[in-house]
Amino acid sequence: MNVVYKHIIRFVVFAFLQALVFNQLNIGFGIHLMIQPLFIMLLPFELTVIPMMGIAFLMGLVIDIFSNTYGLNTSSLVLMAYLRPIVFKFYGPREGYDPLKEPTSQDMGSNWFTVVYSILLGLHTFWFFLLEIFEIGRLGFILQKTLLSGGLSFLLALLIQSFILNSKQKK
Amino acid sequence: MRNLIAFLQRFRIFLVFAVLQILALTWYVTYLSFPRNQFLTTNNNIAIQFLEWEHDLTKHFNLSKNNSQLQWENIYWRKRQPQFMYQLSRSKVKVNDTIYEQQYTYIPAEVINSSIDRRNNYFTLNVGTAQGIKRGMGVFCQQGVVGVIHYASKHYSLVKTVLTKDINIDVNIHMKKTDLPGLLKWDGRDARYGMITGINNDLRIKKWSKVETRGGSGIFPKGIPVGKVSFTEPIEGQALWKVEIRYAADYRRLQRVYVIKNLHLAEQTALEARIPDDE
Repeated sequence: MNVVYKHIIRFVVFAFLQALVFNQLNIGFGIHLMIQPLFIMLLPFELTVIPMMGIAFLMGLVIDIFSNTYGLNTSSLVLMAYLRPIVFKFYGPREGYDPLKEPTSQDMGSNWFTVVYSILLGLHTFWFFLLEIFEIGRLGFILQKTLLSGGLSFLLALLIQSFILNSKQKK
Repeated sequence: MRNLIAFLQRFRIFLVFAVLQILALTWYVTYLSFPRNQFLTTNNNIAIQFLEWEHDLTKHFNLSKNNSQLQWENIYWRKRQPQFMYQLSRSKVKVNDTIYEQQYTYIPAEVINSSIDRRNNYFTLNVGTAQGIKRGMGVFCQQGVVGVIHYASKHYSLVKTVLTKDINIDVNIHMKKTDLPGLLKWDGRDARYGMITGINNDLRIKKWSKVETRGGSGIFPKGIPVGKVSFTEPIEGQALWKVEIRYAADYRRLQRVYVIKNLHLAEQTALEARIPDDE
């Protein structure tokens, strides 16, 4: 399958899963499951940062429209897309990334994926709740929400990864 | 000029990033106070269609609970209907009542989309300007107050619920001798608890005293339940109580709501507009 089509399908699936399923789950304790960072994470290595920020902006726009958050998701996804090349460079192999590989845990190893994705997801989630609450005096609450939501979203991302991995092995 | 172009080339990535961030944050800040366009909210045609499909699937989840609540409410009002009461004195002639005049009318609605664990939670209702909904009307459900209409499009509307930062509904704490007025707020922590600010700490507040709407601003009638006082604590350095209340309504399962239309609102605002500004 063509890479472009694959990512367009992923865009639609991730946006609708987030808008119609994960936004509707009210777990309590301020937990807010987010899968849209995984979409930004799984974009191919050779994509440069400016188109990636454009894609992140579109993704955030769709999710914001569906959840009445008016630009919060857009802002945090654009931040994540901006930081992704920097974090990738820091943790990348010395000779650069192999363009045939994908930034998934099965191609790059689960250690690499865990470190890189938890940094990016943590920054994304922290920025999201910082803007949403916007009170310096309640930094503890922001951190609590970040840790709980970020942790569960990370586990969810691993689960989704295993689905993608299984469907590939069948082929 | 060449220096400028070189500079832009160098900081191209950061500039694009900054522009996109500014766009997103402007959108966030302006829409929190007043949404200008329905396209960027759930009220646009495409998003609302998907949310309606989702609602068609999930609306049955709390059906039995909602139905029994509606049945209880029916019984409550049926008990107060004169034709279902036993007439004690048959000789009296019934006179048409001229003491009371209808001030509020209610528009029934259904919640299509909702969230409870954001900092600012908005509900989408399936009624709009075609049904007479306007910005600023109050919304309540059978158990208690829900919020205020934030934006109305033709067939749908957006409610700014009591689970937002600056909802500022004026409420009363019911005491034995007096009522204490205050403003309702939400701290974003738990959808079951709200806060009331502006209560002087010269009076002791009993736990579980009732909190109701005050009805001063014409949005809500007087006496719609809000919740009960669950916790009070003096604020340090101020002569005020920190009052926490437990909401009467369960916003997690909310499905059927009523929008309040105040028939006297135009008269009230016209009268209050006569107050000179500088006094």
